[in-house]
Formats: sequence, C-alpha cells, structure tokens
Amino acid sequence: MVRSKKKLSKLMNRVRQLLFALLVVFIVIQFMQPARNESGQAVQPDISNTYNIPDTIYALFKNACFDCHSNNTNYPWYSKIQPMGWFIERDIENGKAKLNFSELGSLSTRRQMSKLQEVENRINDGTMPLPSYKLMHHNARLTKEERKLLVGWIEETKDSIMLKRTIKQIQ
Amino acid sequence: MKRFVVLLAVTVICLYTSNEVSLAQHKHHETKSTSKNDSSRAQSDKKGSAIDKTSADSTSAPRVTDAKAAASIKDIVGRYLDLKNALANDKTKEAAIAGTALEGAFKQFDKKDLTASQKKVYEDVEDDAGEHAEHIGANAGNIEHQREHFDMLSKDMYDLVTALGSGQLLYKDYCPMYNNKKGAIWLSEKKEITNPYYGKKMLTCGSVKEEIK
Repeated sequence: MVRSKKKLSKLMNRVRQLLFALLVVFIVIQFMQPARNESGQAVQPDISNTYNIPDTIYALFKNACFDCHSNNTNYPWYSKIQPMGWFIERDIENGKAKLNFSELGSLSTRRQMSKLQEVENRINDGTMPLPSYKLMHHNARLTKEERKLLVGWIEETKDSIMLKRTIKQIQ
Repeated sequence: MKRFVVLLAVTVICLYTSNEVSLAQHKHHETKSTSKNDSSRAQSDKKGSAIDKTSADSTSAPRVTDAKAAASIKDIVGRYLDLKNALANDKTKEAAIAGTALEGAFKQFDKKDLTASQKKVYEDVEDDAGEHAEHIGANAGNIEHQREHFDMLSKDMYDLVTALGSGQLLYKDYCPMYNNKKGAIWLSEKKEITNPYYGKKMLTCGSVKEEIK
C-alpha cells in the first residue's frame, strides 16, 4: 500500500511538472507574434479604384474575402493568442499569394479576368470563404441573394473589361 | 526538475527554429515574386561556382543548355493537346502531368524569333496561361477544378496560336453548356468533337467554330 502511494505521488509530480512545462511554453510562444497584415490605406490598384464597385458589393467582399485576400485584415481578438495567430497568419499568406484584392489592378487585364472568373467559380461552388473562417465570422456566411449579387457584379465587370480591351485593340 | 528544464529548452529551441524557417521561406518567396532575375542571381550567389557560368552565358554566343531546353510553340500546343485529351478521357492524373509539362514548356519557350507584336501577345498570355497550367498540375484528383482552369487556359491558347501560328491545323471547338450555359471554347487537332469539359458524359457534344491554320 505504502509503495503504491509513493508511486502515485511520483506520478502526480510528473504530471504537475508536465503541466507546468506546457504553461511555460504557452507563455513563451505568446512573445512570437507574426507581423500584422495591416497596411492602413487603400493603394492605387485596389479593387475599389480599379473597377466601378457599389458600396453594397464592396461591403460583401470586405466581410467575406478581405481578411485573407487583401492588405488589410480585420483581426479577431484571438489572433493575439498563439498558436491561433500563427494559423491565421498562414491562411492570410496562402490567400494573398493566390488573390489580393488590394493589388488586383496591377495585373494585366487578362489576369484580372482570370482572377475574377476564379472568384466567381469559388462563390458559385461555395468552397470560399473557407468553412473554418465562416465558423468564426457570421458576416462571411453569404446568403443565396448575396452570392447572386456578387456573381452579377463580377459578370458585369468582366464584360466591361472585355469591352475596354476590344476598344483598345481596334484603336 | 533537470529533465523538465531540458525539455523546456528543447521545445523553445524547436519553436524558434521553426519560426525562423518559415520566415526564411517567406523572404525567399518575396524575392521570387519580385523578379525572376533576382532569384536566379540569388541562387547563383549561393552556389558560387555558378556565377562564372551565368556571366559567361550572357557574353558568349548560344548557350549549350538552350539547344536542349528551348521549347517551341509546337511543344506548347502539343502539351495543351495532351491536356485536352486527358480531360476528354476523364483522366485527372494524366491531365495534371500534362499541365505541369505545359507550364514547363511556357517557361522554356524561346522568344527570340518573335516579331514585336507577337512578343507582346506572348508576354501577355505567358503569365496567365502558366498559372492555369500550374493549377491544373497541382489539382490531380479534382477534375472539375482542372476543367475550370482549362476553360481560361483555352482562351489564352486561342489568342496565342492566332498570333504566333502553331505549325499545324487546329480546330476551335465550342461547348455551349459549360460555365452555366455561357459556353466555353477549346482547341483540337482533329475535326471530330471530343469534349474536354464533360468527358464521357457528353463526349461528342459541341461544334467546330473555326479552322486555324
């Protein structure tokens, strides 16, 4: 009996040590904050300067897409707690590499068309915004009507880009 | 207690190094995206011995590697047609392989024989088409996503072959159903229709719109 009690207290000691170690690690990683994706102002090639975009459409894009696909992320409070902040950082980095609404206008019209088409496809098949993102962001859950609005705007914008391109070619 | 201190030290070191690695990767990515020249310079700097090679290349006449690596418009069209046939046969893995090969052909294409206007078209198409080819290569197993990019790629390819020629007879085919019935085109080497957008489901659906010589 005495022996097993000794064993138990030894085990408890170990567990206590481990928990303490985890706590220290948790505290230490809080000091490793990734750089923030916040440029402040809208740059020249931003989607709002490149196309004719109504406020309602812009607001939809902002709520559903801009956190990962622009130079300005609206960070949630838990982004300051690691490792959550790291996961968020990874999503933003991947997102911006594929599509950045803040710099869309710096691409050739051909690539703008492709990017817009891809946005339309992702909205249509519902794979974007990501489910994990929608879980935490109510505003990013687009309704059927909102999706229709966005797709309609993209179609219009693509048409106007094509028109401009044809006019340029004729001239 | 000793053990605990060691454990803590190891974890902290691990975390720091993993952080640094990801930072380094990020920086590498940045240089890559700023300019191709920069990244190749950085690479040759690292290797050291490669510096002589590149500087010699720029001064002396035709590079030895060029003769082997240079791709022609025939290679680009050939890889595109491989891709088209893979999609028409519903073969997503073969499509991915052809996509990667097509991306490579774009990278290795030699622009020196192009006229000024052809060069302009090529350079406009290159980035876009290369990105679509890359996505198709990276999405084995997701044939619908590959087809989406094939749709956009085909528009690029049409512009490319009408400006540069292709050295072979091609047909511009049209599928009225794809893209929510907005339609999509593709290029084919044969007159009979094999629809790359739907594969077996609607293999012969579509029509020839144009012959490109």
